[in-house]
Amino acid sequence: MAQALASLKIVEIGELASAPYAAKLMADMGAEVIKIERPGIGDRARTRGPFPGGAAHREKSGLYRYLNTNKLGVTLDIARPEGFALLERLVADADVLVHNVAPPEMDRVGLNFDRLHQINPRLVMTSITPYGLTGPWRDLRAEEITVWSAGGVCVLNGAGPDHPELPPLKTFGNQAGFQGGVHGAVATMGAILAQVRDGEGQHVDVSCQEAIASQLELTFEYWPYMKVIANRLGKKPIQPLEAMECKDGWIYVCCVEEHQWKAFVDLMGNPEWAGEELFKDRLARGENWEALKIFLEEWVSQQTVIDLYEKAQARRIPFAPVSTMGDLLNSPHLKARGFFVEIAHPVAGTHQYPGAPLKYGATPWAIRRPAPTLGQHNAEIFGGRLGLDAARLAELTRTGVI
Amino acid sequence: MARPPLDGIRVADFTWVWAGPYCTLQLAHLGADVIRIETKTRPCVTRMLPPWPGMKPGGLNRSGYFNQYSQGKRSITLNFKDPAAHEVARKLIARSDVVINNFAHGVMDRMGFGYDDVRKIKSDVIMISLTGYGDTGPDADYIAYGPAQVPLSGLSALTGYRGWPPMHAGFSYADPNGGVHGAFAILAALYHRGKTGQGQYIDMSQWECAMGLLAEGLLEYTMNGREPERIGNEDPWMAPHGIYRCLDRPEQVMGLTVDQFVAIAAADDAEFKRLAGAIGRLDLAGDPHYATLAARKAHESELDAILAGWTGGRTAVEAAAILQAASVAAAVVADNKFLSEEDPQLKAREYFVYKEHPEVGTLQHCGIPWKMSRTATAVRAAAPCIGQHTDEVLGQVLGYGAEEIAKLRAQGALD
Repeated sequence: MAQALASLKIVEIGELASAPYAAKLMADMGAEVIKIERPGIGDRARTRGPFPGGAAHREKSGLYRYLNTNKLGVTLDIARPEGFALLERLVADADVLVHNVAPPEMDRVGLNFDRLHQINPRLVMTSITPYGLTGPWRDLRAEEITVWSAGGVCVLNGAGPDHPELPPLKTFGNQAGFQGGVHGAVATMGAILAQVRDGEGQHVDVSCQEAIASQLELTFEYWPYMKVIANRLGKKPIQPLEAMECKDGWIYVCCVEEHQWKAFVDLMGNPEWAGEELFKDRLARGENWEALKIFLEEWVSQQTVIDLYEKAQARRIPFAPVSTMGDLLNSPHLKARGFFVEIAHPVAGTHQYPGAPLKYGATPWAIRRPAPTLGQHNAEIFGGRLGLDAARLAELTRTGVI
Repeated sequence: MARPPLDGIRVADFTWVWAGPYCTLQLAHLGADVIRIETKTRPCVTRMLPPWPGMKPGGLNRSGYFNQYSQGKRSITLNFKDPAAHEVARKLIARSDVVINNFAHGVMDRMGFGYDDVRKIKSDVIMISLTGYGDTGPDADYIAYGPAQVPLSGLSALTGYRGWPPMHAGFSYADPNGGVHGAFAILAALYHRGKTGQGQYIDMSQWECAMGLLAEGLLEYTMNGREPERIGNEDPWMAPHGIYRCLDRPEQVMGLTVDQFVAIAAADDAEFKRLAGAIGRLDLAGDPHYATLAARKAHESELDAILAGWTGGRTAVEAAAILQAASVAAAVVADNKFLSEEDPQLKAREYFVYKEHPEVGTLQHCGIPWKMSRTATAVRAAAPCIGQHTDEVLGQVLGYGAEEIAKLRAQGALD
């Protein structure tokens, strides 16, 4: 079966998560992605773990290797005129340039749409930046934690009203980057469909802050609709919706609908306290959570996670385990669906990775090659594709252009 | 401006709650004609949740939750207890490019709208089901609610204060994440259909979409056999790196004091030096306790105390501005009021949408997180009232006459 995006050609200039994830989504569906990295240094993700054995090594970063599957890797200093000229030659033949070069750096090296559009009118250029390419915050320094905070999610997470002294809590990993990346991939695909229709490319300006602010559930609208601030100290209006500790791990106790609570009470053997007026409906249970919590903790602490999960699901109560990494890797359900995939890498070795985010009936998701080593495809792309001879390649390598 | 990218693409939208509506919102943002199939006999739960203007519940059209995620879509109501409603839905599918739902596994099959049924109606249709667990596997029939999907995904085990239990992400993150991944898949399938004429079915598991977001945690386990420890707001490769308390908001809100924080990160020694200068403690940059990343990690709690001492006497806006003036990564930890009224960036980019709605008036909603230079990028209309477009869609899209529509309505098929 053919892959859905097999005819797309993409050039990526990406670091860490956002632009690399956008390009990965397309590469894993068949697009050819040429990833450009800084000579001798590479994508910053190469410096971040996990690393096998724990020792940092630029070819062994788990984050880098996950985010860059199926890509061809070249090194190129686009700040040098000879480097930018080679970028122009790559872009001349591409459908998409996706990048997350910071706006001040874009200005410094002259990376802008008008210049590349003259070379290739069909080019879709997608710029994924922390705050977008306009506005007073365009050039601000940003890292994952500052963007996740500026998007308005971070303020929602914390230890709740019992612990106001604890600060808002960042979610694990590179979530601002991932969300900028997947929203960027959606916008890029939209622009590609318009390119196919009209024969013309365009510039797509994606703001990670806005991508995060777009998914604040019902919390954002509490201000315009009701002038209420939503933050980590708010009491949950309905309960139970909490992680609780079993004998062998944690489970998420979740009863949203009344019939789910009734089924849970039945599962607990209809204890006398459950009939109290204090717990009569979900709002009352939210209001009297402190009392309810004591009863539930007592009962849950005597259960085991999988047993309670299965019993609850059998009664159509939407409990879920608080999965550890080991739980996920060993899940019979995920194994039956073949979610994890084994990828062999020439330097880092063979490991299991998260696999297809979706299963397509007609156009498979597939790993065709592992993430590239730094500059692995320089000769193939600059020599084979662009026709530079060996002497010129050697010269460009010696002078640090590639 | 040229027509939007998905102009002329029609989506038969059987979704509800959040994951599905977030998916079809992306398609509406790109210009697709998204027609939500609803029923008054069992309205979308988000129509009945707060927030409501003036804090007063009432009716099915006043929820900020529904109105946020249904912008730019049309709504028709069909009561599938009546066979005539099935016929209307079949006609809509015949005129649609994409069919999407996020019911529990098997529900669409039982309604007679499984993929095998749907492709008999429209051979090149693209159909996607957004479920919690996917269509196959031993747990495919399990039910999934948004809040429980975050712990199921593994994110909770990785998120939390040092030495504390697993924590949440603060929102039902797997829902919008699944929705936006679903939108990407639909667009890839549309591209493929354009090249080959072939439609297809897409099986999306919210759980699987979410696990890619925690690849570092999973790979620590597959590479080193270890469960990562929870490290709060710290970062293994940066210090300082955290969220620091500032002065409370000067004004009370609903009679309550609201605390405020600033997020700060120093990516390398040079940025730390700029940070030290900005807070008037350039001496720290030369102090062997703090001069290198390894030293800063070893003395991180002392460093955090120094920073918290500096931020504690300032507003979050002031602290972020002083640090950014020195080119240090810093941002106000924004709450909804800040985003709505105080954030100059979102305002300058005209991110927010103000469209008149018949029951709530013109209120502020979040908009489209990208801008396109050639094709139009705009939310076309406020969220629909329930069934607002039933007559319009049945008449103009499906070719029903006014009398037929009246008859369907009289027999309850359009409830």
